[in-house]
Amino acid sequence: MSDLEEAYLQRYEQVLSPMVETLEQELWECLCEVASRIDRLTVRPKSPDSFLLKAEKRQGEEPKYSDPMQEIRDQIGARIVALYVDDIEPIEKIVLTYFTPAELQDLVPESESEFGYVGRHLLLIIPPDIEPEGATQDSIPDFFELQIKTLFQHAWAEANHDLSYKPSGELTFDQRRKVAFTAAQAWGADMIFNELQRDLRTS
Amino acid sequence: MHPDKGLEEPRPMRGTAVNVEEGPFDMLQQIFEEAPRECRYDISFSPSEDGTQQNDCHDLFLAYLQEPSLETGQVVAERLQGITTKRSGLGLLFLILGANSSRHRLVVSRFPASPGILAEEDSASLSVQYIERVFMKSEKAYKSAMYEGASFEADFWRGRAIDKQINSDIAISNYWIRDFLFSDFATTGERGTRRLATALRDAVNRTSDLGVKDEIAAAVQLSQGLEGQVTSASGFSTRFGLSEKATEAVKEQMKRQLFDEPFVFKSDEFHKHVAFRSVELDNGARLIADADSFDEIFERSESNSGKTEFSTAGNIVDERFRKRIR
Repeated sequence: MSDLEEAYLQRYEQVLSPMVETLEQELWECLCEVASRIDRLTVRPKSPDSFLLKAEKRQGEEPKYSDPMQEIRDQIGARIVALYVDDIEPIEKIVLTYFTPAELQDLVPESESEFGYVGRHLLLIIPPDIEPEGATQDSIPDFFELQIKTLFQHAWAEANHDLSYKPSGELTFDQRRKVAFTAAQAWGADMIFNELQRDLRTS
Repeated sequence: MHPDKGLEEPRPMRGTAVNVEEGPFDMLQQIFEEAPRECRYDISFSPSEDGTQQNDCHDLFLAYLQEPSLETGQVVAERLQGITTKRSGLGLLFLILGANSSRHRLVVSRFPASPGILAEEDSASLSVQYIERVFMKSEKAYKSAMYEGASFEADFWRGRAIDKQINSDIAISNYWIRDFLFSDFATTGERGTRRLATALRDAVNRTSDLGVKDEIAAAVQLSQGLEGQVTSASGFSTRFGLSEKATEAVKEQMKRQLFDEPFVFKSDEFHKHVAFRSVELDNGARLIADADSFDEIFERSESNSGKTEFSTAGNIVDERFRKRIR
């Protein structure tokens, strides 16, 4: 077992795992006013396998992370799946009254003719309230990542993630087109459902 | 640094390195060593306008940390000069850097200028001299920030700060943390307020001491005046004169290390989590209970004589005589 693996396993068991339960509870408490607009809320510690895989990533010739324990920022990942597109903003607004952001990003395809991953990603400071008793400052990451997605954005991202880990290697042109097509369908479904819920609320 | 906010051509300024053998070194070393204790506010740089994790002040501090020099220090001072108004006045900025084998610490402190008198005494006389610009670590206007870490890539986004003027005036309060450091409290006002409110509520619900319940309920009712002020659980207890027993009851409901943590008090948030409803009758009776459950605890009815009757039932957990009713 490498030093990095040992260090992360220790952090995973002693710090990250106890923190996710508290964080999930905290997020629900903060979001109780909009709970009916949330389909699901999950918080997970990054698995040791996934962490080590990311830690080994390279940027050209050089390792991408010189200090993975400090630099990998999604060691705790939270996800809120909202019902409709219009629900994302009020959820984010409430989150930001209780959590301090370090980054706020809309992940969208690069051009209007492309369809792919869509999601709101927030990098938030881990508040001291959820730190486990007795943990030292060095053993706790500074941030956690929160993704806010609609049901259809979430469904597409999950399937896309699963397909991208299939052992058959690179997708063919047609397979990539199919992936883009499903992303377009998910985008369209989000638009129509959002319009429907607006119409029904105002009528 | 001159107060040059809004000036098209800021006045030139100069910096100097302080040598280990020079007089100010001991004083700066003391500031450096005391920074973890003095800088009470946990702060974090704010993201850039486009939402990315980039912050101009953070970039300047990192450049100074990686290559400490008069040039990299000068741009930090220029940033402060560019946002300093006449109200904050002339100041002297110190950048104090230290490192052990793996960690670096940067302390950034601003001393305001004050007029002073230099008095020199010899065996026969006392001579005095008026000095227009004395830079002192003022008890009332001292500002400082401290950043610590090992990795320039990953650390130094969070830090700690102190601003002795934080509640004196909005413009002055924003000057150091929000405008110069382009940072915010790591604990939002709503979070800190919610933490305090739930601790007060839980303390009342868990104690069987009626005196403690009464003290906390009274403090909660007086808390409206705190809106927008920087406080802490300990500050709240002191401000409303909670007894040692009541303070301890509150302290038991939160992590000990958070009892002194400052935050901006938010009244609306506070009353979402803790509210006591009290009713006083003209016969001298007083009823008090958690606002959410008051109507369940006390059954209310109107009698034929037009008077209101309240009834409740439970086991007596405490009963006492009070010298006076507050």
